[in-house]
Amino acid sequence: MSENTIGKKSIDWVDKRFPIVDLFERHLSKYYSPSNINIWYLFGFLLLIVLVMQILTGLWLMMNYTNTAEGAFSSIEYIMRDVDYGWLIRYMHAGGASAFFALIYLHMFRGMMYGSYQKPRELIWVGGWFVYVLLCAEGFTGYVLPWGQMSFWAAQVIISLVGSIPYFGEDLAIWIRGDYIVSGITLSRLFAFHVVLLPILIIAVVFFHILALHEIGSNNPDGIDVKKHTDQDGVPLDAKPFFPYDISHDFYALGVFLLIFCTVIFFFPEGGGYIIEYVNYEPANPLSTPAHIVPSWYYTPFYAMLRAIDFPLFGLTAKFLGFVVMAAGIAIFAALPWLDRSPVKSIKYKGIFSKIFLAGFVLSFFVLAYLGSVPPTETKNLLAKIFTLLYFAYFLLMPIYTRFEKCKTVPERVGEAV
Amino acid sequence: MKILLFFISLISSSLLFSAGEYRCGSIECDAFQADVSDKASLQRGLSTYMNYCYGCHSLKYSRYKRVAEDLLIPLDIYENNLIFDGSKIGELMEISLTKKDAIDWLGAYPPDLTLEARLRRPDWIYTYLRNYYPDSTRPYGVNNKVYQNVNMPHVLEDLETNLSKSEYDQVIYDLTNFMTYVADPSAEQRKRIGTYVLLFLVIFTAFAYLTYREFKKDLK
Repeated sequence: MSENTIGKKSIDWVDKRFPIVDLFERHLSKYYSPSNINIWYLFGFLLLIVLVMQILTGLWLMMNYTNTAEGAFSSIEYIMRDVDYGWLIRYMHAGGASAFFALIYLHMFRGMMYGSYQKPRELIWVGGWFVYVLLCAEGFTGYVLPWGQMSFWAAQVIISLVGSIPYFGEDLAIWIRGDYIVSGITLSRLFAFHVVLLPILIIAVVFFHILALHEIGSNNPDGIDVKKHTDQDGVPLDAKPFFPYDISHDFYALGVFLLIFCTVIFFFPEGGGYIIEYVNYEPANPLSTPAHIVPSWYYTPFYAMLRAIDFPLFGLTAKFLGFVVMAAGIAIFAALPWLDRSPVKSIKYKGIFSKIFLAGFVLSFFVLAYLGSVPPTETKNLLAKIFTLLYFAYFLLMPIYTRFEKCKTVPERVGEAV
Repeated sequence: MKILLFFISLISSSLLFSAGEYRCGSIECDAFQADVSDKASLQRGLSTYMNYCYGCHSLKYSRYKRVAEDLLIPLDIYENNLIFDGSKIGELMEISLTKKDAIDWLGAYPPDLTLEARLRRPDWIYTYLRNYYPDSTRPYGVNNKVYQNVNMPHVLEDLETNLSKSEYDQVIYDLTNFMTYVADPSAEQRKRIGTYVLLFLVIFTAFAYLTYREFKKDLK
């Protein structure tokens, strides 16, 4: 490139005032990722795209949404019918929520499989976990906004859980609802959380998550520290620049993801009742409880844990204990970096017990997801108890089985035989 | 792969579960395949709806004009024949029956049916309207196999008695087809646009793949 093109001059002009070249190099063209990363490393990029999509579609939905108990339901139908392409924006947003959770679960599982939470990536993991918690809150508050039957009753069930806290729970629940039952007052405060507070927090924590990642760099399927072996310029040998090598891979993945996503939103926008629940086409009615209240599919594993605890203990109610177990099921992810005592990161080199317990975790997650989506029976409740135990066993027994199991030797370099 | 298979078996087992208790009350739902591109069927369905249902059941999220345009009915014909209360054609399809009168006369307020086909699904409506039977213990002398002890009288009784079974089934098919349309009026446009979007994405993905492959060669 010649020295005096307009492009070069403008970049120079900006660069003297803002470190644009330095940022580009540090985060893209000279940001190195291990050469052996696989398709499990694509979900972070896709999550970022979905986040942007949710913010943009959410912004456009908000232009025509009414956050009152009287107007909410019909304003959604107004968007679906009278706003040009309103149906598309709404289906993108509703389908986007499901995609967000599907991708974040895959992204989290990648971290668990390859030990990405281990030293020195504890803060990346905890930051990511916090994004997940915020996303759960964002999903819940958003679910209430259409003000259909399921919106109303899901809000009623979830907020009433707070009421089960001993001594001050009931007062706390009233404080959260702003009313004795879920009402228009609750709706408009959840709306404020959904469109202002939670998105700001999510963006801030995602920023932290990426900044922390770019300080340390990605882990890889072998758990090899690629920064150990560098050339004379300090460039890791078993790595490649993010731009253009990873970004081109990411765009290919984006194409595949969008093919699936668009097939769903254009041809199966309700996702068989899993993306938009049929019961939610009836406006909220505080006087009529639906026969079967279910949360969205992405919360069903935790809902199953809540229902599995049906016995009081130590003077605490079953409902409160269920609430504690459910919250613990989400919270315990944050403790992973300190539960894992293994000398190796990746499941490839860990011993047999790590493999068995990880498989048990995956199995219990799917079984609980199913159990949380169907009406309870006695057998199903017993199953929910067993699989809740299996779920927690993966985490709570980890300090024991990772310390004593026999691990394989991790190679020094990528692709090297031991 | 195993995880995928497991997930598929979970979903199919959950479907089996829901079939255990009939979704259409005491009987199984009859199969119903909507065809919202069949404008003649939608027009017949609209006519049945406006003449038999609309006295009590509003379509208050939909507008007259949208229905007229989507069903290819000229606006003046629509305005002169299918608007009964002097509403303007751009207005929402609300009814004159007030909540108080409805409760005084019928004991309940008939629900709005704009979204009924999305709420209960079209096959439910199709089965429900074809399964009234005489029952002298009920106030209107009829009961329903799909919706036990329903408050609604058999409004289409004269049609069912005067028409042959297949003719009556056709009337209900058209009516259900119309209700399927009105619950989701953008469905046709959505599928049309969706096809182009997917075609574009196939091309985008192909080029993205070629770019990726080209860069990957550097790394060998």
